[in-house]
Amino acid sequence: MRISRRAARRAAAATAMAAASALALTACGSGDGSGGSDSASGKIEGTVKFQTWNLKTNFKSYFEGLIADFEKEHPGTEVEWIDQPAENYADKISADAAGGTLPDVVNVSPDLAVPLAKAGLALDLDKAAGKYKGEYLDGAWKSHQIPGMEGTYAFPWYLNTGPMFYNKKLFKEAGLDADKPPKTYDELFDAAKDIAKKSDGRIATLGNAPAIEDFGRYGVPLMNEQGTKFTFNDPKGVELIKKYKELYDAGALDSQALTNEAEATGRKFKQQSIAMNPGSALDLDKFKKEAPSLYKNIGITPAVTNTGKDNMYVQGVMVNSQSKVKPAAVAFAHFVTNAENQMDFAHEVTVFPSTEGSLDDPFFTKEDGKDETRVRVAAAKSLKTAVNYTPVMLNDQMKTVLRNEVAKAMQGKKAPQRALDDAVAECDRLLKSAG
Amino acid sequence: MTAMTKGSGNGPVGKTGPAAAPPAEPTAKAAPSSLSSPSAPDPKRRGRAVRTHLPSSPWLFLAPGLLVVGGFSLYPFVSTVLNSFTDKRTLIDGQWVGGANYQELIHDEMFWIGLRNSALYVLGVVPLLVILPLLLALLVQRHLPGITFFRSAFYTPVVASVVVVGLIWVWLLDDRGLVNSVLGAVGLGTVPFLSDQWLLLLSAMMVTVWKGLGYYMIIYLAALTNVPRELHEACAVDGAGAVRRFFTVTVPAVRSTMVLVGALSSVSAFKVFSEVYLMAGDGGGPGGADTTLVMLVQRVGTGLSGRVGYASAISVVVFVITLGLMLLVLRANRKEDS
Repeated sequence: MRISRRAARRAAAATAMAAASALALTACGSGDGSGGSDSASGKIEGTVKFQTWNLKTNFKSYFEGLIADFEKEHPGTEVEWIDQPAENYADKISADAAGGTLPDVVNVSPDLAVPLAKAGLALDLDKAAGKYKGEYLDGAWKSHQIPGMEGTYAFPWYLNTGPMFYNKKLFKEAGLDADKPPKTYDELFDAAKDIAKKSDGRIATLGNAPAIEDFGRYGVPLMNEQGTKFTFNDPKGVELIKKYKELYDAGALDSQALTNEAEATGRKFKQQSIAMNPGSALDLDKFKKEAPSLYKNIGITPAVTNTGKDNMYVQGVMVNSQSKVKPAAVAFAHFVTNAENQMDFAHEVTVFPSTEGSLDDPFFTKEDGKDETRVRVAAAKSLKTAVNYTPVMLNDQMKTVLRNEVAKAMQGKKAPQRALDDAVAECDRLLKSAG
Repeated sequence: MTAMTKGSGNGPVGKTGPAAAPPAEPTAKAAPSSLSSPSAPDPKRRGRAVRTHLPSSPWLFLAPGLLVVGGFSLYPFVSTVLNSFTDKRTLIDGQWVGGANYQELIHDEMFWIGLRNSALYVLGVVPLLVILPLLLALLVQRHLPGITFFRSAFYTPVVASVVVVGLIWVWLLDDRGLVNSVLGAVGLGTVPFLSDQWLLLLSAMMVTVWKGLGYYMIIYLAALTNVPRELHEACAVDGAGAVRRFFTVTVPAVRSTMVLVGALSSVSAFKVFSEVYLMAGDGGGPGGADTTLVMLVQRVGTGLSGRVGYASAISVVVFVITLGLMLLVLRANRKEDS
């Protein structure tokens, strides 16, 4: 075998290139926000990269149609659609953001928008697309605002709120009225204790320890208005933990409630060893297929709340402030979230539009006797007053802190007040260090 | 034998630097004839060697390897160490903060819990992974009909995905799972495998051992083929039983392999993540009591608000401890040798 000098030189060049790109990958700095202006005026043209969050599997044709419509409406544009799996979405975004490859239009949730906006990677839509503000529900538009920062950092997209599913058979067996499910937390606690008692601790009512949404619906103030301090160690929060601890001790919470992930809770609800579980309208179909005997006994009721308001989850569509095709990116982000397209999406799957007036459509107000419709109408009604209880400043690490401190209180390793004080102190510290 | 390999073993390349030294040995062994008359080379071939091998040639051959090592091992390592002295976050460049991250570590309760759990993992898992696979290897070493089936069966958990395996064990060990149903049926009640912090850690260790058995068994099988049969026979003639032979023949013969297995398994046990993460949840068990150090790195350092600086500091500590473990094992080995 003979290696010519030219080949050797070529090999050297290739390896040098590889090295340079490897270093560029790892060494590339993160966005400092100085690169782009907030101006989105200009010609709508170019290739827009659009990233969704786990939507390709089920809604491929909807998005392909949406993209085709946009490209037709704006000749000279092209939309490149990327979908990311549900797991580790934040890690994927952070890798892209650090590598300078963040798509132009990105599906985010409010808690993801916060660090991106702080790093200067999210376009301020009050400036760039303020004219569209009136098209959206006021609360939805505000959901991507950040305490301590001016501006709105994503278009509101679809909303969701979960009904509470309950097992009528298990309710009846405990001597409860299966047609009158609990509406407030006190009623829930009473029912849960009855069920535990009657079943000798065999049947738990809930599968999880309280999370931040429960604190919100229980009426605990979660954060001060400036978004600088958490406040869930309020007496009301302590009361909530005490009540849950009673349930846990009485066997009214699943014995693995402190560590259960949503998957495990869902599985146990399907196995009928848990009597109530929050879910979404999507679950009805799953019950029908995977747990027909549960489906026969399924009860649907609005989420338990003390405030009269339900929790809502908001999805947003963010525009990358570093985008090279900003006018087209803003136009497409608006297009995805406009009333017409959101309405179409809501017909595909039970999600709810965040656009003004859409929830008054007969589709969301008229019942037709079907379970699916009943869930949809009830959810749409509760969404009109619903609140996104999860503070946008509460990131995953802080959620874990809260979860672990709550667990210590439930196990009796810490007094509830002490546990919540510790959780607040740690979350405040993390918040402060986040700057 | 090609011109290329010969060239790297002798001739002009040898003079250019230390990098050429290692390849010289195998070449010399494999083809002593090429070294026998270096002063009288075939002029044609000699000429070609001069033309192809410039002073930079060895570096060219090394370049791909160096670049991979440099780009994917050395650079990340150095940058982790440097980051550990900054307050870098995922999306925000950090400022130099000196030893602040390390100071924070000392006062971080979760760090100590993580350190304890990782250390317990080493203590619990390593002895089992050094001994059990050896016994298993002895068992399947014999040439019996159908033994390959058992060899493959023991190896299956190794190739199975850790996520799938983890989930299966979660289902089995659930308070309402198969294992507890059986225990309940024989009147032993429910054992909280997945909700008690210590049982959870034990369960995860068990999965690690179960999953690692086959891998280390293969290593031992390779070592056992090197044990001379005559030794066993001689021993047997002298009247030694199976147990005696195990301790006087087998163990000394595979001792260096045991050290290797000990070193490998202790390093991977200290860095355990998947099994505990899958079985204890991303919170790390009830109240986070089963968090390991690597889980803590993942929790603190990933995501859009990840504290890369602090996570790097934990990683550096993990590195120092793993290095210490390796040195400890190697040193124990050397002491026994001398």
